[in-house]
Amino acid sequence: MREIHRRAPRRAGEAADSEAGRYKTLYSMLLDASPSSVLLIDSQMRVVSANRNFVEKALRSEANTVGQRIDAVFPPAIVQQMDLVSRVRAAFEHNRPTRGERMTYRSPGLATRTYYYSLIPFSWKGAIEHVMLLLEDVTEQVRLGEEARRAERHLASVVESASDIVLSTMVDGTILTWNAAAERISGLTLGEVETRTFFDLCAEPHRADARRGFETAKRGKGFGVAEWDLVTKSGALVPVSWVGSTMKDDRARVVAIVAVGRDLTERRKFEAHLLQSQKLAALGVLAGGVAHEIRNPLSIASSAAQFLSEEPEDPEFRRECRAKILTGIERASRIIENLLHFARPGEQPNMVQVDLVRVVRDAAALAAAQAGTQQVEMNIELPGNPVLVSGVPGLLQQVFINLFLNALGAMPGGGLLRTALDRAGAEVRVQISDTGDGIRASEIERIFDPFYTTRPVGQGTGLGLSICHSIVRQHFGAIDVESVEGQGSTFTVRLPLLKNGIRQ
Amino acid sequence: MIRNGAPVRVLIVDDEPDICWALTHILKSTGIVPVTTTSGREALRLAKSQRFHLAFIDAKLPDLDGLDLARRIREGDAAARIVLVSGYFYCDDAEVRQAMVAGLIADFVGKPILHQQVEAIAREVLSQVVSTSRVIAPVP
Ligand SMILES: Nc1ncnc2c1ncn2[C@@H]1O[C@H](COP(=O)(O)OP(=O)(O)OP(=O)(O)O)[C@@H](O)[C@H]1O
Ligand SMILES: [Mg+2]
Repeated sequence: MREIHRRAPRRAGEAADSEAGRYKTLYSMLLDASPSSVLLIDSQMRVVSANRNFVEKALRSEANTVGQRIDAVFPPAIVQQMDLVSRVRAAFEHNRPTRGERMTYRSPGLATRTYYYSLIPFSWKGAIEHVMLLLEDVTEQVRLGEEARRAERHLASVVESASDIVLSTMVDGTILTWNAAAERISGLTLGEVETRTFFDLCAEPHRADARRGFETAKRGKGFGVAEWDLVTKSGALVPVSWVGSTMKDDRARVVAIVAVGRDLTERRKFEAHLLQSQKLAALGVLAGGVAHEIRNPLSIASSAAQFLSEEPEDPEFRRECRAKILTGIERASRIIENLLHFARPGEQPNMVQVDLVRVVRDAAALAAAQAGTQQVEMNIELPGNPVLVSGVPGLLQQVFINLFLNALGAMPGGGLLRTALDRAGAEVRVQISDTGDGIRASEIERIFDPFYTTRPVGQGTGLGLSICHSIVRQHFGAIDVESVEGQGSTFTVRLPLLKNGIRQ
Repeated sequence: MIRNGAPVRVLIVDDEPDICWALTHILKSTGIVPVTTTSGREALRLAKSQRFHLAFIDAKLPDLDGLDLARRIREGDAAARIVLVSGYFYCDDAEVRQAMVAGLIADFVGKPILHQQVEAIAREVLSQVVSTSRVIAPVP
């Protein structure tokens, strides 16, 4: 090998003469080309030959390699670690090979290297002639393997330290992996969820939907984005926004489903705050309107009182002042009264079974007197049988009184006020039409706003329709308007019907 | 003090007739007989046909914004002294302060109205108008 190689140019011609020589040349070439070290050792523990890789890597010359005892060729630390002498002996005496052993060695001043080695007895005609020592430097492979493992660990720790839930399931939804965030948010360990399905962990109302999501996911594209509450160990619900994707094998078969979930608790809190602040802003607008509305009558009453405190002589003026004080206070308190109704839309009133026909008839009767003084004809079409809804009779009556008064207000010069009540499917519809001024298209959006009024000052608070709206909403109904300026308006109130005492 | 026939012309604009009533009675003690209207447009028309030394304008009129009306009156007569009257604003509201700094309005009167404040404003205008009219047209 090393020795042969050096003489190769000279021996090439001779070798060609004999077949044996030819193979020897060929094998020595192969051995020299090998990136592993190959040594032949005889029973005297002497190196018979060493290939080029060994001589080069060991930084030896062939002269102090071939013919030397192996414990002189290898550093003592290696000899000891490999237990080289006894292994070679075992190979000779018992034909026992050593395969794929691992050894690390660090020569002074150099980095640690890792080797794999094998000792293979070579027998010829029943006798063991040599033992072949194969030594392979696998430092690089080991390093790569470690790197791969480190990358794997890194990825795992990314998943582990993610603040979002990262979990994977089998195709049937059974949990496979469960990261630290999942543990923290749910309070459940992997051990506790391992045999359970993902849907099991979802809140009851979302379970069916989650199951459908996974069914879709199974077919290939994940389940997209969904919001399903997670049930924690303590039974609490955590709102989670999920994104589902599928993991596929080389043959594009779905083997697992990966779900990443974000805890929405904080966002929900934020949204609640936002809503609250929007409400407050709306309240600010309302308060501004209230201030304006209430300060006028207060200011009038205050002025009248200031005049009286100067003890004016004119008895007529004193009488005028007293009257202004009283009407001012009355007006202010009427606004507050309306506001209180308005401010309680969220309150769940005590609803009872109400005959809407009767409510409308009573309200119409109250409006009839006023209609008479204005030359307004009232035309009322009500069914003979009761039409039942669930509600608060007093509040419902307020709705229709307000609508009648508005209609009458729009017909100062007389007209026709028509009222019809009919059933349409699961709801009852009450229509109140007038032939009055109508509402300009640009204003129609505003008529339900609190304090929007076109009445002369002191005559309308502008709260009538906003109260109607909130009462109708409280009764799970709706109120709409259609109007043509100069021709009249129709207000429609819809309420859910009661059938056998049950809201439809 | 100048009684009847005072040369000071005052305009009152408030959609609430009883506020007009109150302001008119407050000004009575100063001898001023104001012109009143409940409409912003009408006020604008009045201001075009005659000059007013002083105008009390409600900030929230149904047909015109009070500050807008003030601006348009002053466009026709830069000397007009405008008092903003409101139950909606406070005297230190940004909008009110800006209008004061810009010289658009001279005073702010909040509702409920304090009679003393209105009287003081009226007397101040009265004394200015009287002294300048003396300089320009001395009584023989
Ligand atoms: N039937 C109608 N025809 C024409 N305009 C209407 C009709 N109903 C309501 N409106 C318009 O909508 C405005 C608001 O009505 P809303 O009932 O809220 O207040 P209001 O009637 O002005 O005051 P209040 O109800 O306190 O007496 C009215 O001022 C009017 O301009
Ligand atoms: Mg009304």
